Amino acid sequence: SQNRVKLFPLAHVDTTHFYVQVMLHKCNLMILTCISFQACHSEKHLGQYYTLPSAHIRTLFPSGLPWRYQQQVKTFNEACIMVRQPSLEVISYLKKTDYSKPALRYLFYGQKGTGKTISLCHTVHFCYTQGWLVLHIPDAHQWVKNCKELLPSSYNASRFDQPLQATTWLRNFRLTNERFLSKIKTKHRYMWTKREFTEEGSLLGELVDQGISRVKSSSDVVGAVMKELRLQSGQPGSDFRLAVAVDGVNGLWGRSTIKKEDKSVDPEELTLIYNLRKLMRNDWTGGAIIATLSQTGSLYTPKSAYLPQELLGERGFDSMDPFIPVSVPNYSEKEFESCYLYYMDRHWLQHPQSRTEEGKKELVFLSNRNPSMLDRICGFL
Amino acid sequence: MAASISGLLKPWTPSVFLVRWSRYNPYYLEPEVSKEAYSRPETELSAEEKEQRELKALRPIKAATSGVTSSVFDDPVISKFINMMMEHGNKVLAREIMTQTLENIKKKQVEKYHKASEGEREVIECNPYTIFHQALENCKPVVGLASIQKGGKYYQVPIPLTDNRRRFLAMKWMITECQDNKHRRTHMYEKLSQELLAAFGKEGNVIKKKYELHKMAEANRAYAHYRWW
Repeated sequence: SQNRVKLFPLAHVDTTHFYVQVMLHKCNLMILTCISFQACHSEKHLGQYYTLPSAHIRTLFPSGLPWRYQQQVKTFNEACIMVRQPSLEVISYLKKTDYSKPALRYLFYGQKGTGKTISLCHTVHFCYTQGWLVLHIPDAHQWVKNCKELLPSSYNASRFDQPLQATTWLRNFRLTNERFLSKIKTKHRYMWTKREFTEEGSLLGELVDQGISRVKSSSDVVGAVMKELRLQSGQPGSDFRLAVAVDGVNGLWGRSTIKKEDKSVDPEELTLIYNLRKLMRNDWTGGAIIATLSQTGSLYTPKSAYLPQELLGERGFDSMDPFIPVSVPNYSEKEFESCYLYYMDRHWLQHPQSRTEEGKKELVFLSNRNPSMLDRICGFL
Repeated sequence: MAASISGLLKPWTPSVFLVRWSRYNPYYLEPEVSKEAYSRPETELSAEEKEQRELKALRPIKAATSGVTSSVFDDPVISKFINMMMEHGNKVLAREIMTQTLENIKKKQVEKYHKASEGEREVIECNPYTIFHQALENCKPVVGLASIQKGGKYYQVPIPLTDNRRRFLAMKWMITECQDNKHRRTHMYEKLSQELLAAFGKEGNVIKKKYELHKMAEANRAYAHYRWW
């Protein structure tokens, strides 16, 4: 009962929210369920959890969240993300930017398991709630490895197409940005084959449907979609802002394990990668580029590498330069407390010893306050 | 030979020490791993425990096996189960399977808990450790059968079992059941968690096996007097 007074800082700001929280969450922990998302993103709420509505999860992240987090969402019947310093910083910059200037590039970097992907998802959710158009590539490494079908590109003979990856991405794009598909019109005319073409001024939705139904030209459709959005955002006529979110951006400038007739394919020769690299340049306005580095899925990089210089390589760093690096560290003491209390509230920590002080000290020691290690250890306790 | 009466023998250590085997001189005492045993003050101890503490200051102590930890989460029953699951000395894999099993049990129960209504929530047990221990308890047989020869024929005679033997049989049945009688494409942790949850609710093949053993023992009750110990 003492905690009830201490742990609801929102009480003095907005009493209606306070009462709603007490009704919705009878437990007196550092969890908040916000109705308005703008209110959730300020320094006062550092370390607290906020709930993502399940409808948003279904549309925004058909495959963007880490696997273990998806399992957790299924178990707890809710999706809660902790408000942490890196994502809060990027969100505050997004609120203050002048969108008539070229797009800024934000890069989340950090050691393995510190929460880069979740920070990216948090920022993407913020953009979604503000009504932006979200171009989310869940994992760029998936486009440079394990490719089952590789076709020579119809547009440029020296490049290769990846129809399967392109169609999955187009489907997810259509699911996420339903409302924009009937509003945005294309500015160019595209010829797919001798008889199939998309007229100038047709809806973006038609272009995307064309890509999904005609699997052979889907990679080119992806390229066309990216080009259209890049050209149109920031123009006086358009009423949307573009958020480009790429997880594992170092895969674009690394090596690939795809082989064509025993010869290794360079990522530059893949249509999807080529078009995505063009999108990562800051020659367009009216939006932002948010990216994450990832060593886990990357190819031919040492395990100890986590800094942008090491993972992006020379070419990647020169292409991404200038960017705003945002470091994602392990949990601080306050964040660890908050995570511990959240697990206790959700009945996830069941071992009787884990509820004692010594058990908690042991958790700190074993996990080194690393979010993913803590999650794995608390899994079986 | 050296393992005879410890009182007559001087404390000695062989020059070549076989640490991996457990053939210590009985002069050596067992190690006490848990921190709480040492944090109790002098006043709380009884006379025997005080004597035991003084003895520990004088006598040499056996090396602790690598399976025991001073962690508060250490559980001897779980360690024994992991050792029984281990094949070709691959303790890492056996431990991984065990942790995944516990996580899986907890996941299923917590999911059920969050979806249940207020009244049903009190009945649902979410702690995977209590489920594991209770399931093993439910699988332990009370009597066993021994093959005893009498007059040229062998009879299956019901005999009492020691605690260790009962625990061993329960664990062995659980592991072999999961390895043999399940669909081959499921992971071991999935099979184990299903079987443990069934045993917790007193259903499943392992419980059935225990009941069959009990029925056999009941049927052969007439031969119980063939046991001489």
